Amino acid sequence: MTSLTSFLLLLFTAVAQAISSSGSRLLVVLEDVAEKAHYSKFLGDLEGRGFEVTYETPKSESLSLFHLGERSYDHILFFPTKAKGLGPNLTANLLLKFIDAQGNILLALSAQKQAPTAIVAALSELDIHLPSERTGLVVDHFNYDVTSADEKHDVLLLPTPGALRPGVKDFFSPATPNDEVIAFPQAIGQVLGNGALLTPILRAPATAYSYNPKEESEVLGDDLFAAGKQLSLVTTVQARNSARLTVIGSADMLSDKWFDAKVQKVDGKAAIATVNREFAKRVSGWTFNEIGVLKVNSIEHHLNEEGQGNQSNPKIYRIKNDVTYSISLSEYEWDHWAAFKVPAEDDLQLEFSMLSPFHRLSLKPTVSSEESTTYSTNFKLPDQHGIFNFKINHKRPFLNNIEEKNTVSVRHFAHDEWPRSYAISGAWPWISGIGATVTGWLFFVAIWLYSKPAGKGESKKNR
Amino acid sequence: MAVATASDPSPIQVLADVGKSKSLRTLLRVLILCFIAGAAVSSRLFSVIRRSSPIAHSKRRMVLTAACFESIIHEFDPWFNFRATKYLIANGFYDFWDWFDDRTWHPLGRVTGGTLYPGLMVTSGAIYHALRALTIPVDIRNICVLLAPAFSGLTAFAAYLLTNEMTTNTSAGLLAAAFMGITPGYISRSVAGSYDNEAIAIFLLVFTFYLWIKALKLGSVLWGALCALFYGYMVASWGGYAFITCLVPLHAFVLICMGRYSTRLYVSYTTWYALGTLASMQIPFVGFLPVRTSEHMPALGIFGFLQLVAFIYYIRSALSGAQFKAFLFVGLGAVFGLALLALVAMTSAGYIAPWSGRFYSLWDTGYAKIHIPIIASVSEHQPTAWPAFFFDLNMLIWLFPAGVYLCFQDLKDEHVFVVVYALFGSYFAGVMVRLMLTLTPIVCVAAAMASSQLLSTFLSVKSPKVKDPEQEDATDSSSKKAKQNTGSLRSANSPYVGVYSFLSKGLVSGIMTIYLLLFVLHCTWVTSNAYSSPSVVLASRMPDGSQHIIDDYREAYQWLRQNTKEDAKIMSWWDYGYQIGGMADRPTLVDNNTWNNTHIATVGKAMSSSEEVSYPIMRQHEVDYVLVVFGGLLGYSGDDINKFLWMVRIAEGIWPDEVSERKFFTPRGEYRVDGDATETMKNSLMYKMSYYNYHTMFPPGQAQDRVRGVRLPDTGPVLNTLDEAFTSENWIIRIYKVKDLDNVGRDHAAAASFERGHKKKKATKKRGPRALRVE
Repeated sequence: MTSLTSFLLLLFTAVAQAISSSGSRLLVVLEDVAEKAHYSKFLGDLEGRGFEVTYETPKSESLSLFHLGERSYDHILFFPTKAKGLGPNLTANLLLKFIDAQGNILLALSAQKQAPTAIVAALSELDIHLPSERTGLVVDHFNYDVTSADEKHDVLLLPTPGALRPGVKDFFSPATPNDEVIAFPQAIGQVLGNGALLTPILRAPATAYSYNPKEESEVLGDDLFAAGKQLSLVTTVQARNSARLTVIGSADMLSDKWFDAKVQKVDGKAAIATVNREFAKRVSGWTFNEIGVLKVNSIEHHLNEEGQGNQSNPKIYRIKNDVTYSISLSEYEWDHWAAFKVPAEDDLQLEFSMLSPFHRLSLKPTVSSEESTTYSTNFKLPDQHGIFNFKINHKRPFLNNIEEKNTVSVRHFAHDEWPRSYAISGAWPWISGIGATVTGWLFFVAIWLYSKPAGKGESKKNR
Repeated sequence: MAVATASDPSPIQVLADVGKSKSLRTLLRVLILCFIAGAAVSSRLFSVIRRSSPIAHSKRRMVLTAACFESIIHEFDPWFNFRATKYLIANGFYDFWDWFDDRTWHPLGRVTGGTLYPGLMVTSGAIYHALRALTIPVDIRNICVLLAPAFSGLTAFAAYLLTNEMTTNTSAGLLAAAFMGITPGYISRSVAGSYDNEAIAIFLLVFTFYLWIKALKLGSVLWGALCALFYGYMVASWGGYAFITCLVPLHAFVLICMGRYSTRLYVSYTTWYALGTLASMQIPFVGFLPVRTSEHMPALGIFGFLQLVAFIYYIRSALSGAQFKAFLFVGLGAVFGLALLALVAMTSAGYIAPWSGRFYSLWDTGYAKIHIPIIASVSEHQPTAWPAFFFDLNMLIWLFPAGVYLCFQDLKDEHVFVVVYALFGSYFAGVMVRLMLTLTPIVCVAAAMASSQLLSTFLSVKSPKVKDPEQEDATDSSSKKAKQNTGSLRSANSPYVGVYSFLSKGLVSGIMTIYLLLFVLHCTWVTSNAYSSPSVVLASRMPDGSQHIIDDYREAYQWLRQNTKEDAKIMSWWDYGYQIGGMADRPTLVDNNTWNNTHIATVGKAMSSSEEVSYPIMRQHEVDYVLVVFGGLLGYSGDDINKFLWMVRIAEGIWPDEVSERKFFTPRGEYRVDGDATETMKNSLMYKMSYYNYHTMFPPGQAQDRVRGVRLPDTGPVLNTLDEAFTSENWIIRIYKVKDLDNVGRDHAAAASFERGHKKKKATKKRGPRALRVE
């Protein structure tokens, strides 16, 4: 009976298992729980994808990110709150600790509400800077929605982001881009530092700028927060442990209102539908580890020589051995593991290094299945003994970091692994010299022993 | 049996007469040698077994407690030898021969099988297997601990043999054996637990010299070959074999220059050189050095020179005088000049390596300090202090010149050897503390000759009675005296020299006995107090006189063994490398086998630079933990802050632009660690690791460093890239864990200051040009 229940329980957990690759417990922090109606479509989408959503307000006393040192939630979604602080349960330290514990955070900000100090402090640690007045508003006099912001120009219409650069997979555009636009109302822009962990998804157009609407001055002075491409509207951070944090500059774009709003470009003729819903799904999906997650299934290296044992992952090789290295990778796509394909302009590289790389080789796909691709390469070990690492250091924007290190020792030739002396033609004169000496000495001894001394008695007398 | 003819033989005389029987004498000699060996072995056991205090038990039985130190390997190098021996036992000889050690010199590794002298390990391995074959299971550790004492007994025997070759007086040999057995100069390197190469090498040194003298005296190929065999064993055991390689040719050269060339010399030297060189080349670590380095050139040169001399002697027997003279000048000059030219040419072309730095420092004691700080940084490479001679050799040091002088009286070939050895040995012992060891054997031999001469002169019961020739004739059988008696005319030519007065006999021999007793006392005292502490365990006295054991080293190494991953890399100064490898069984970056100066300098640079510079170095070398030795709390002077300048110097040798010794001294030229220390000093990783949190041990304003004797500032150093992982009971060992890179990409200083609750200053408020993000 117990076994049956436990089996059913197991089955149930399997069915209800998170669609995300890293757990399904999602905490949503709102000013007021009732406010969730405002975002019902977005939150409904998340629940529909299998997240177990918990709603809390910052003031709630039961709110705790950690329980007995373990994370209580896998992901957090912040909506803008009015309060200046978030209380003792959500300090900047705790948020960073949450990231250190591999929790993911999706942060929706708004130009109409001040960002809480804890969040500003945490973002500043990540080198993401918000306008100092905390209420910078991004406007663009060339890309705004004519229907809703004809006056204020604060609803930006942006094309789907596209690939960041060649060789990087585009996760955030619809499957078939067709000049759709994303409506971005009342956005707060972020300025990013030069850290490698930061990647903007969506930047403001070149004609956009951020200003403080409370200031009445007509002229923008030197104190302009930022403008153009320096303003990031949706920013991602992927920490070294692959925990993800995304800042969305406009919480309103996630609201039901903008999900199915019709907008009209400045020079556009007809009103068109926004792709906010699709974009929000993709951004939240990326943040909560539903896409762009890589997994190393196995790493294997072995000797690739005739007549040698075919032992897997030996601890020690010899210099100048021929070696095969292979790594099997999978990529998570919404609800299943699929084979990971390296984009055409990109390369998956293997380093064989001791202090510095001795080899840097690109791996080629050899075996491919539904769920994984095996990349491998053959090479000759360097003529240097030491403790080497097979190192894969694959860090690409929007993909989680793959940092794999397999340590092997590379020994010198053993005393009996050198070619024998007679196999070296240059040694033949010396070998024949030894032979000549030995035979000559034996010959001499033979003569010495068998030649009869001439008359012993005489020689004695002669002396 | 010679029975005294005197009417009433005194008991002493009876006893002396008993000793006159040849077989009994041999038996006595064997017994005495056995006792000497026993004394030699037991005096070396202080370090493993120690009587607590000579308080008699109620049953008049000494209480023996093994409380002091247990059977433990000492010092630094022995830990490596011990580890290597264990590897040999576990994996067999061929694996040992081809051993690639990936747990030292990370990440370079060490080709250990090809860079060590395997003699010691193979010897203990052979003993281990022999004992097992005899079904006596002995732990390999006990064999290693007791190997040095066991071989000291053999050394005593070898000294006996060597001395017997020098003099006809057999008591000299016994005295030499006794001296060799207990002299502190040798004990310093051969107490139980001191499992070092010298443990067997000194026996081999003395025995090889004995065989050389024997071969030279007899001109025998057999003894020459035996000598070469033991020379080969010596080469397999200790780098000091170069001493033999240089001394034997020098002896031969001096003999030739004295016009003492003989076929005996020719036969023994050529046999020794040819076979010995072949034997030495079998050791992978030596390989082709005997034909490629300058240290080995004298032996090769003398070998060639001997052929030449032999040829000339042959020519002389065939040519007339004038022709020979012309031939000699032209031929010899040409050959010598050509050989010298060839040597210089080959050295400059790189076929022959020039003298190594360690060798230069033997001629110029200041050389190493300037050019190769790593050699100068080793305490045993320092010049010897004068008191050390008396400390290590006691009365032998003044008997030694007397013994050398006696050699001149009867200057045979072997006595020339003693003179040459004495001169060279004393020079080298004066230059390097460590080479006291090579001087000790000849001091024992020479001193034994001198003292036995004294004793046999003064300890003779019979007095010469010139006035009563008849009686003397009956008692004495020496030919000298017989001549004196028979030929009254000749007595004027060779006057009998002897001691007549019983008083002077008693006085001198009494004093001599007292000296010998004092010598024994001194040796026992030195051995027990100076040479028997295993440096891993420190002993100190509590106020009430009881002994207090400070076991921080083993505590820390045990902590490493139990709390870190098996392949956690430990960075420390090289002194502790072997111990970490042996006791903690963790990979190290550098160790006492200082084969790679650059790698050591890298560690030196990491220790002497600021955290921002050190951290990338430690990351690159995959360091997990850093270990420092700090004696400030206990007053333990051998700590890393006192060794720090050597790290700086060695690092400066490789990176003169980045590390500068001058910056560690105050403008007034002082090396300070207190509040007035220089900024470079205060920012160095070593300083920070040593004094991190140290001030919290004291009430405010009282923090004190007991080694340097200075008061420390109230605010301790701040560490950003390291976490304190472990500090031992007396703070001698401190271990730090190297932090990983910051998870969200900050530098460590920023991350640490955030942890401490400081808010980051807003970047936007900065004046000046705007920092733009560039993709």
